[in-house]
Amino acid sequence: MSKQAKETTRLDTSYGELIWRRFTKSRLNLVCLIFVLFLFLLAVFAPFIANDKPFVIRIDGKLYFPLLRNLQPSDYCIFLAAVVVLWNVIGRLLPFSVPLGLRRMNHRNTSGLGLSVAIVSVGAVLIFVFVPRRFDAVDYKTMDACGKATGAIFAFIPYGYARTELASRRQPPSSRHWLGTDDVGADVLCRLIHGSRISLSIGFVAVGISVVIGILVGAILGYFGGWIDFVGMRFVEIMMAIPVFFLIITITAFFPRSFLNIMIIIGVTGWTSNARFIRAEFFKLRKQDFVQAAVSLGLPLRSILFRHILPNAVAPVLVNATFGISSAIFIEAALSFLGFGVAPPTPSWGQILSLGVSTSGRFLWWLTLFPGLAIFFTVMAYNVVGEGLRDATDPRLSKVA
Amino acid sequence: MTTYIIRRVLLMIPTLLGITIVVFAISRFAPGEPVSFTGGIGGQIDTGQTDVTSARMKLYGLDKPIHIQYAQWLWRVMRLDFGDSIKHHRKVSELIKERLPVTLMLNVVAFLIIYAVSLPVGILAAVKHGRFFDRASSAVFLMLWSLPVMWVGQMLIGYFAGPTFKNWFPPAGLSSNYAEQLSFLPRLADRLWHLVLPVLCLTYTGFAYLTKQVRASVLNNLQADYVITARAKGLSEPAVIFKHVFRNSIIPLITIMATLLPAMLGGSVIIERIFSIPGMGLLAFEAITSRDYNVIMAVATIAGILNVAGLLLADIAYAVVDPRISFVSAI
Amino acid sequence: MKQDEILLSVQKLYVSFSTEDGDIKAVQDVSFSIRKGRTFALVGESGCGKTTIALSIMRLLPAGQGKTISGEIIFENQDLLKLSEKQMRRIRGNKITMIFQEPTTSLNPVHKVGNQIAEAIRLHQNKNAKQAWADAVEILRKVGIAEPEHTARAYPHQLSGGMQQRVMIAMAASCKPALLIADEPTTALDATIQVQILNLLDRLQKEIGMSILLVTHDLGMVSEYADVVAVMYASRIVEKAPKGQLFAEPCHPYTRGLLQSLPRLDVSAKRLEVIPGTVPEPLYFPAGCKFHPRCPTGQKNKRCRTVEPELREVQSGRYVACWYAPGYEKR
Repeated sequence: MSKQAKETTRLDTSYGELIWRRFTKSRLNLVCLIFVLFLFLLAVFAPFIANDKPFVIRIDGKLYFPLLRNLQPSDYCIFLAAVVVLWNVIGRLLPFSVPLGLRRMNHRNTSGLGLSVAIVSVGAVLIFVFVPRRFDAVDYKTMDACGKATGAIFAFIPYGYARTELASRRQPPSSRHWLGTDDVGADVLCRLIHGSRISLSIGFVAVGISVVIGILVGAILGYFGGWIDFVGMRFVEIMMAIPVFFLIITITAFFPRSFLNIMIIIGVTGWTSNARFIRAEFFKLRKQDFVQAAVSLGLPLRSILFRHILPNAVAPVLVNATFGISSAIFIEAALSFLGFGVAPPTPSWGQILSLGVSTSGRFLWWLTLFPGLAIFFTVMAYNVVGEGLRDATDPRLSKVA
Repeated sequence: MTTYIIRRVLLMIPTLLGITIVVFAISRFAPGEPVSFTGGIGGQIDTGQTDVTSARMKLYGLDKPIHIQYAQWLWRVMRLDFGDSIKHHRKVSELIKERLPVTLMLNVVAFLIIYAVSLPVGILAAVKHGRFFDRASSAVFLMLWSLPVMWVGQMLIGYFAGPTFKNWFPPAGLSSNYAEQLSFLPRLADRLWHLVLPVLCLTYTGFAYLTKQVRASVLNNLQADYVITARAKGLSEPAVIFKHVFRNSIIPLITIMATLLPAMLGGSVIIERIFSIPGMGLLAFEAITSRDYNVIMAVATIAGILNVAGLLLADIAYAVVDPRISFVSAI
Repeated sequence: MKQDEILLSVQKLYVSFSTEDGDIKAVQDVSFSIRKGRTFALVGESGCGKTTIALSIMRLLPAGQGKTISGEIIFENQDLLKLSEKQMRRIRGNKITMIFQEPTTSLNPVHKVGNQIAEAIRLHQNKNAKQAWADAVEILRKVGIAEPEHTARAYPHQLSGGMQQRVMIAMAASCKPALLIADEPTTALDATIQVQILNLLDRLQKEIGMSILLVTHDLGMVSEYADVVAVMYASRIVEKAPKGQLFAEPCHPYTRGLLQSLPRLDVSAKRLEVIPGTVPEPLYFPAGCKFHPRCPTGQKNKRCRTVEPELREVQSGRYVACWYAPGYEKR
């Protein structure tokens, strides 16, 4: 490449492209990123992959579509969120602009993010209000088996995560149940797949909550300093003083067990590190000239904090967020293992793990090995991605030979 | 120096008060009342005995306004009176006196092992950074860090302490049933034998975390200017590392000591549950499943106090080791 | 050794680093000699390679950066580049010492200043701790620190920048070296302190009889304290001459440009003179003479654009690397 051409590409690479290039230098990073994407797709499409209701079935000559009819509001929410996220990601990867609502969006600007979040939130509310919860107790498999119905096309793993089959409890892996069954006869593979939804959604939502709280607290403490910072830091120290896990299990002891509560609890106990990062960055940045310029222009406080300073301060928090996700997944698994997490029949990896040693002392290895591997690979993938991101965004590391 | 310590202790007090407020608030603002347990879980069974319920509420002081309840509770806590355990029907402070040493012993042993392994490995990885040892140990520790504790614990029991595979270690407890009849040394050996698996579980996550911190700190210092000065004086490389780099590198690690201990306390809950070790973690677990509120609050408070005490110790150690910390400096 | 004998001779030194973006040729074809008791100044802008030369003499270049060194550095009838590490350590801090730009970070923050000086003394002279400490205090006195016993017990952060640099000089002079390399010794200090430090170096030079290699970008400093000056540009020496001749009659266009750009009090001018253009990046050195894009003569001449001029002696003791320097092309 001629000297001029190389110079222009170097000048032209955006920060994001630079990080991407550094990140992908290691193949392990790329592999783990692909795994993370795979898990994401698995979680989104779980009801299509493992479901005991067939896609299509013919009963008495009429075609029914039980699987599609029985999709729950939470499924629709997840689809909506996934579509919006993918649209944002793909839209930014393309070199040309892509319309999103009223604004153009490409890999250089961040317009449309607010719109996306709004779409997801409003959509979620509408879905939960308007889509009815169906519960179809019809056992399509028996119908198909005994010939009452014909032409049934089942999902790839034809089991439901809540369907109990007491006749086949605690079976080791076989050709029927590839990873065995648990103590109520549910297929382990199916529960693992649906469990990924729980783990990932808890991970993302909890981290989202902790990032938002952390940014708010950190920004205010860091920007104002003085006695606000003094008092605020005492409060942060108090939150940090109680060991996090203890705090979580204490809170779960007092509040009813539910999916939403777990997300909130993990998020509300994990924001302190984010707050400290943001506070440190804001301390550094608030004396910079561009902040003085914004203040002298008379911009409102929220604009100064969030449109001007925050984009410069947010990098360590984003890196920390990946570790937060892996940590949230781990905490959720631990809680479910101890019996304080989501309640059955909601599938959770930790809960399956807790069944590994039966009450009679038998070691049911398939109930220990597979969910353990699932947690291990997921947590490791996020950790590797987090480490890769941290190395890619740390300017000092490139100087170390 | 003494003024520094006094300052630090004084700053601890609002934090400690804050902990008690948080713990108390959680317990009181949660839905449900403690006494409803007697009416079935979740208070579903209506015993119809309202006067019994109100009498019990009076007994536990639950009918007074909330700040009075807090003040009363705080006053009792300061005298180390945490009330009675609903489940065990004993004083909570007695329970804690029994269980706390067990957990502390477990954690301290694990702590020492973690430091004994991580320091040399971290230093070596930093000195040979970029080369095979560094990358291999990084990869190994990354994997270890991602292993979920309950999985490892259960696998260890299943494969090494159970009837199905190997039976090398005991699956539960701190000592065998016949331990009291043994003399000192065999009893110690028996205790150690029981500790192997739980300590293994507690330590491996710590390895990953601490080795990475050690490596980062040493690497940071290896690039420092004073290292070039030391080499320019003609010091050999091992002398440079041990006389110069090491002392500077351990300074940030002292604060980490303070954060490692509470993390391990949390992990204790899972490990004590898996291995049935009668420590604070198991106490907390049982208390939560049986809604033994006094015990829960006591454990949370004590965990917080221990944590703050650890931070204080770390601060003092930091000031002792780093001459740049002036004792009259700001908070 | 007589006065004026050659102490250190660098012959055809080439240093390059291989990076993922290509090879960085930091030092190319550099040759010079330092005489006993004299001050040799190596002048140039940041990045021209002068610090690399200094570190190469001490063999202190950071390891493992894919560096290639060729050439010879003759000192006391030995080629320093071919010595083993052990042999080199006996020379470092003892016969050849170095002081650095940032005294604040070049001193170990956790060790007392006196100990840091004594360390070098104990290493190279067979003295015990007590004697070494006494020597350290003595040398602190010699470098002009009042109350040396008190200062020796201080930590680096308790001293001012000027005092820290005096400590560094004390450390470097403690073993009465034959050569002291000063890499930008005053750049980080206030103007008044700069003069003090340079005078101190001058005085020590006369007392100990050591040679000084002064690496700097400050021409003012060079005009006061140097005996022989070598001007570097983009990894090469472009002019080398005794100080008086260089400042009176610079031969190389770069030297001329540097001298012209110095602001002067005795000449009134509306605008300061500059050398147009910027220093080329090591990965993208121009072909031919590296200065030609910025040289009024070089831009017009094909030879300057294609063939690199080597350093040649044009008069006794004067060396230039420019096709159009007077006396360069002897027929």
